[in-house]
Amino acid sequence: MIVNNAGTNSALSVQTLIDMRNQLVDLQRQLGTGKKATSYAGLGLDRGLTVGLRAHLSAMAGYSQTISEVGVRLDLAGTALSQLDSIGRDAKSTVMKSQFALGSGNQTLDQRTAYLQFDQMLSVLNTSTGGRHLFAGRNVDQPAVATADHIMNGEGTRAGLKQIIAERRLADLGTSGLGRLAVSAPSTTSVQLDEDASPFGFKLSGAVSGLTGSTVSGPAGSPASLSVDLGPTNPAPGETVRFTFAMPDGTSQDLTLTATNSATPAANEFTIGVISDVTAANLQTALTQALGRLAATSLTAASAVAAAGNFFNTDASNPPQRVDGPPFDSATGLVDGTAANTVSWYTGESGADGARTTAIARVDQSLTLSYGVRANEEGLRMAVQSIAVFAATTFSATDPNAEASYISLKQRVTAQLEGLPGKQKITDIEGDIAAVHNALQTAESRHLQTKGTLAQLLQDVEGAPTEEVAAKILALQTNLQATLQTTAMLLRTNLLEYI
Amino acid sequence: MSLSQALSISLSGLRATQAGLSLVAGNVANAQTPGYVRKTLGQETSVAGGIGGGVRIAAINRVIDEFLQRQLRVESSGGSYTELRANFYQRLQQVYGQPGSDSAFETVFNNFTNAVQSLTTSPESGAARSIVLTSGQVLAQYLNGMTADIQALRGDAEKGIADAVENANSAMQAIATINAQIAHAPPGDAATAMLKDQRDLYVDQLASLMDIRVVTGDRGEYNVFTNSGVQLVGSQAAQLSFEPQGTVTPATLWSADPSQSNVGTLKLVAGNGSTIDLIASKTIRSGQIAAYIEMRDEILVEAQNQLDAMAAAMAQALSSETTTGTATSVGLQAGYEIDTAGLLSGNAIHLTYTDNQTNQQRRITIMRVDDPGALPLDNTATLDPNDEVIGIDFSGGLAAVASELNARFNGAVLFDNPGGTTLRVLDDGPAGRSDIGALSMTRTVTGLAEGGNALAFFTDATSPYSGYFTSTGSQSMGFAGRISVNAALLGDPSKLVKFNTGTASGDPQRPEFIYQQLTGTPFNFAPNSGMGTAASPYTADLTTFMRQVLSLQGEAAANADSLSQGQGVVVNALKQRLADESGVNVDQEMAYLISLQTAYGANARVMAVVRDLIDTLLRM
Repeated sequence: MIVNNAGTNSALSVQTLIDMRNQLVDLQRQLGTGKKATSYAGLGLDRGLTVGLRAHLSAMAGYSQTISEVGVRLDLAGTALSQLDSIGRDAKSTVMKSQFALGSGNQTLDQRTAYLQFDQMLSVLNTSTGGRHLFAGRNVDQPAVATADHIMNGEGTRAGLKQIIAERRLADLGTSGLGRLAVSAPSTTSVQLDEDASPFGFKLSGAVSGLTGSTVSGPAGSPASLSVDLGPTNPAPGETVRFTFAMPDGTSQDLTLTATNSATPAANEFTIGVISDVTAANLQTALTQALGRLAATSLTAASAVAAAGNFFNTDASNPPQRVDGPPFDSATGLVDGTAANTVSWYTGESGADGARTTAIARVDQSLTLSYGVRANEEGLRMAVQSIAVFAATTFSATDPNAEASYISLKQRVTAQLEGLPGKQKITDIEGDIAAVHNALQTAESRHLQTKGTLAQLLQDVEGAPTEEVAAKILALQTNLQATLQTTAMLLRTNLLEYI
Repeated sequence: MSLSQALSISLSGLRATQAGLSLVAGNVANAQTPGYVRKTLGQETSVAGGIGGGVRIAAINRVIDEFLQRQLRVESSGGSYTELRANFYQRLQQVYGQPGSDSAFETVFNNFTNAVQSLTTSPESGAARSIVLTSGQVLAQYLNGMTADIQALRGDAEKGIADAVENANSAMQAIATINAQIAHAPPGDAATAMLKDQRDLYVDQLASLMDIRVVTGDRGEYNVFTNSGVQLVGSQAAQLSFEPQGTVTPATLWSADPSQSNVGTLKLVAGNGSTIDLIASKTIRSGQIAAYIEMRDEILVEAQNQLDAMAAAMAQALSSETTTGTATSVGLQAGYEIDTAGLLSGNAIHLTYTDNQTNQQRRITIMRVDDPGALPLDNTATLDPNDEVIGIDFSGGLAAVASELNARFNGAVLFDNPGGTTLRVLDDGPAGRSDIGALSMTRTVTGLAEGGNALAFFTDATSPYSGYFTSTGSQSMGFAGRISVNAALLGDPSKLVKFNTGTASGDPQRPEFIYQQLTGTPFNFAPNSGMGTAASPYTADLTTFMRQVLSLQGEAAANADSLSQGQGVVVNALKQRLADESGVNVDQEMAYLISLQTAYGANARVMAVVRDLIDTLLRM
């Protein structure tokens, strides 16, 4: 049953009044909230634009937050890297000027200083902010590197650096202490050096003989061998034969033996005998002694450096390398160390992809910056490794070759801390991080400008400007008052009043 | 001419004035009654024996312009149609929230994408992970709420139709009753005029409910027809019937096939017993009933489809994984094979091959269908317009599937199942009728750490969303009402980052994937959401689709509002003109009253004079 309302006729004339009143209420709402409409219908043709603008503004708020968060991380990382760089340079100058003066623990004072610097470096590498370790690659909730003590001395059944160095030393020196070379005389006038089939010890690079009438053959064969045949003639005094060896740490070392007439030859000299047979025998003797000395000095240092490389140069597909033994002095190869028997110095995440991609920051719709660092990146690793090997080695006061060995070690460590051309340095990593920081700040200032423009655009479309609304309200008020008065006048005017 | 004649003439004058007075009284009393038409007295000279004298009341006339009335009926049914439509659209706009407010749909979605972006910056942070899950839950619950609101609107429309049908029935019945009374009443009678007023009122009520046309019969009865020619009222009234559905859900849709329709349909039971389905025959095109029907079956259903499409795209964006087949060959036949383990109902295997006989590349989508009632599938089952869709029931095992496919392809392409869950597709070898281009499979990931980036972030209540088809429709129907965040993920937030055993806690790969899918990757959207067509579907990323939906709905609501306002102006203008003409003007009645008063006095004076003259005669 539909019920119609009475007063329809007069209602027609007050319909305009009701409409105006509703308009007034809506304008008041606009004035109060500053927004033109409460639903998408009222926004007009640009309503789709406002949705897009709001999405953009909200995304930019997210980017700004990312920028500030990542900015903190980059600041810390940059500080840590420059600290590491300065420790490295301090260590280099210490090592370079170091004198051989053994103190307690069979180490020099500089070596003990180096251990402290090593410890400091490791704690800087474990920098974390907000529970996030900055140098651990993707494994941000774990420390990047193990402690100095564990690395040096091992942990339980797991071998540390010192043990690795000791094992490698035995392997490189060999049972005879000649650096895995065998000296023999294949004929009465010749001397032969034989490598053995292992990656340890001296490796023959070549020999240059200035001795008259002598011939050098080799290195040839596998395992290589090299021989110097004096021939029937004796060499003249002062003539030299120079052997070149490849060392386990990749460097090469020369050994020069000089012929002399003296019956008591000095080190690295051999007496010319009556016939070349005797000379050859003297040469063999001198060579054996010289090799022994060289092994005790340069080879020991090179072995320590190589062992450090075996221990530190690891990643996901390359575990630390151990000497296969015991027995170590006759070991024939290297084996992979396992997590159970070798300390892993780097406890972060290592993978095949670039270290920077391990942490990303999205700062714009299509701009993602990569700022991850792994502590086992080459620049960082070399610094840590070099200081570690200097701090790990010990020398005996009674060893006549100790000083020469120390000097050889010093030279090698200094060269490594210097950095080789074409290899990554800590300053390279610092540069990468600084570049990202720059890009971050550029993005932030860009966002600031864009935010202002977009907010203005949004306000233009959906905002209700106060002046315009106030003017409309005033105009409407005037109209409303006029209409109310005239309507009242009209409704009152009828014939009944005058009859 | 005699004195007694003069007496009787002035008596008739008195009677006429009295009738006029009662008419004025009636007009003035009913001045504010809705639908009242001003009545005037039709006087004429009474003729007796060819000689005129006296006054006779010929008829009580209703002052009404029939043309205006007809026009007003047409426009007012349009007016109630547009007003109701605008009303519903305004309520639908509230579903999407106030633009820019914290509770708007777009704000909730933006919050979710921002939370994911924060997660890419700090994947290891427990706070960032839980914020992603919380905002995902808020988004899913918002979609659920919007679905409930839209279906509530549909339920209101359903109830509205029921109410309108009841009102229409009572109005039609009343019209038929008055028709009968008017047919038997003498024309020109005051009572007849009042009945006609009442009948017009009922016709106006009916006009606001549906568009009608009135044809006056020769005995003054109204024959009411719909604008499409179906008779509603004649000597008898037809009956409209409507059985409303109690609960309205996204799955309860109207269908022309009564066995498939889950909501009420409007039927007209004619006097002779035949029924016409008024919705199927689109008989009612204006008025409230048409507005309710349009809302219930078209506009609100489309709004629901838009939400469902958005929810489906969100779920599949994060949980779809595509693997490509490996090349293989058997003898001289070359092709590809693929492991179909994990293929759910609704997932598909995509095959591209070149038919060498027509030199055309053909794309085939082989979709797994678990409900045999849904087969055969139409090519529109996938949103790709350039593929052919083959729905296959996988319940008989992969070998049965292969043989069914072989039967279809007739040797041009050969399928077989070499073992386990591997499907192998080979060309026909030396005959060279076809060359296999590519084979790939898109499946829905149901776990959280299956080794790839995809994860089942959103689920359909407790089961995965794979877009399957059943005999009643697609899984996407009403999905916006069921979408929720995977409960397993809520229990283990670390799976937002750890996509495999051994994934580092700071690995941004999976959060990056989620962010990219939500904001950058474009998807195809079904044409039933009102955008695009089957031949060229609408392609956009989620944010753009949402923007388009809000834009379209806002535009439609604004249009409906302005249409309603425009129509309101027209209706008001016509009502004003009708009121001017047929409404009671109190001034006019008062003036007429004065002249009636004078006439009465004059007639009485004549009678008094005649009485005096007769007295004079009698005293003679």
